[in-house]
Amino acid sequence: MTMIEMADVLKADLLVKGEGIHKAIRHVVASDLMSDVLLVDEDDMLLLTSLASDQVLRTAQIVGAAGVIVVNGKTLPSSMVNVANDLRMTLAVCRLSKYATCIAVHEALKKT
Amino acid sequence: MSEAPQTPDASDAKNEPEPAAVNEPLVLLELIQRLKVRDVMTAKLVTVSRKDTLREAQELMKQKKISGIPVEENGRFFGLVSVDDIIRALGGGYIDDACSRHMTTQLVVLEDDMPLSFALRYFDRYHYGRFPVLNRDRRLVGIICQRDINRALLVELANELNRLETSFGQTPGLDGAYSIYVLREYPICKYDFENAGKAANQIKKVLQEKQFPPKVIRRIAVAAYELEINLCVHSDGGVLSWQVSNGRAEIIARDAGPGIEDVEWACRDGTSTANEWIRSLGFGAGMGLVNVKRVSDEFEITSKKGSGTTVKCVINIDLPVAT
Repeated sequence: MTMIEMADVLKADLLVKGEGIHKAIRHVVASDLMSDVLLVDEDDMLLLTSLASDQVLRTAQIVGAAGVIVVNGKTLPSSMVNVANDLRMTLAVCRLSKYATCIAVHEALKKT
Repeated sequence: MSEAPQTPDASDAKNEPEPAAVNEPLVLLELIQRLKVRDVMTAKLVTVSRKDTLREAQELMKQKKISGIPVEENGRFFGLVSVDDIIRALGGGYIDDACSRHMTTQLVVLEDDMPLSFALRYFDRYHYGRFPVLNRDRRLVGIICQRDINRALLVELANELNRLETSFGQTPGLDGAYSIYVLREYPICKYDFENAGKAANQIKKVLQEKQFPPKVIRRIAVAAYELEINLCVHSDGGVLSWQVSNGRAEIIARDAGPGIEDVEWACRDGTSTANEWIRSLGFGAGMGLVNVKRVSDEFEITSKKGSGTTVKCVINIDLPVAT
């Protein structure tokens, strides 16, 4: 399942369509601690977080994530969209809680 | 008649257009951020006192071949006598008056610990030939003109070239795709979360352009990012540098304080001195140094409470087998 398909399943608002938009998601990490994200040695990950900061995107770029979905329907600072555009990182916002998003993502990936 | 000199502040600068230098090469941008006004200014000052006459000021300017002279007494700055003031005095017939009566007092001054980029911005904005430089105690410590900046930048660029040439001489060069030499330094400011991570992002981009193996890129990028965030969160500011040569990537984070009391403790999983604010930004899980160690082939940390910390890590790059 690709990032664009996942955004559709989660009814997430796709704010930036980055390079990884059509990449198959190989791994999912749900965390608000960026050092925890950096510990994961998996390519093309989907990062689920409730943290709305530029550093989420910089971290996602460092680990080569396919994209970032911010949960809880948070209003993102405009700088986040700018950074996502600069880094060409796919960025979406989902209204579900982190827990509910994880379940929805798991269900969606199970079907593929 | 004396008015306080105005020192520009950071909020002032935010409203201004970026200086022309933003389109300059990266190395030049790094230099103008790294250098402070005090590194560039002329500290050996020629000055006059308030009771000296404009004629005396004119004589000094002629002798020293300068176009402006600060009026100062025991480090206290009162104003500036420029060539324009002298021309007006000659025309008006008051060249033998005391400097205090006709010196320019409405002045914009710079502080010695401002970055050079700030000075460039103010030359761009005000079109003055020079700016007096004060220290934090408001004492006159120097004067800066565009010639000082040109000279300092040329010297620094020459040093940078020397450094590169020396390194080229030391590394014999390699066959294969990774025989590049890169040396970069990035100044990192304390709590500058707006820019934290940019250096690591740039490092990753360079390595991707050079088509390094993805796993190596990831390890270097993770180490650089963790060290950059550490400088931003825990130090009073420092420098992140990296180089790739001879099949090795070396990343060094160096700061001038505050130092680590117990290095062994700081390198343990989950130990952190980060406050709630830092944690709310997604950092301070106490995994930074652990993670750097994990991705490194060599890891070294030296620190002393009250002074600086240096963390060095090396990542070996597997070279392609020659066919």
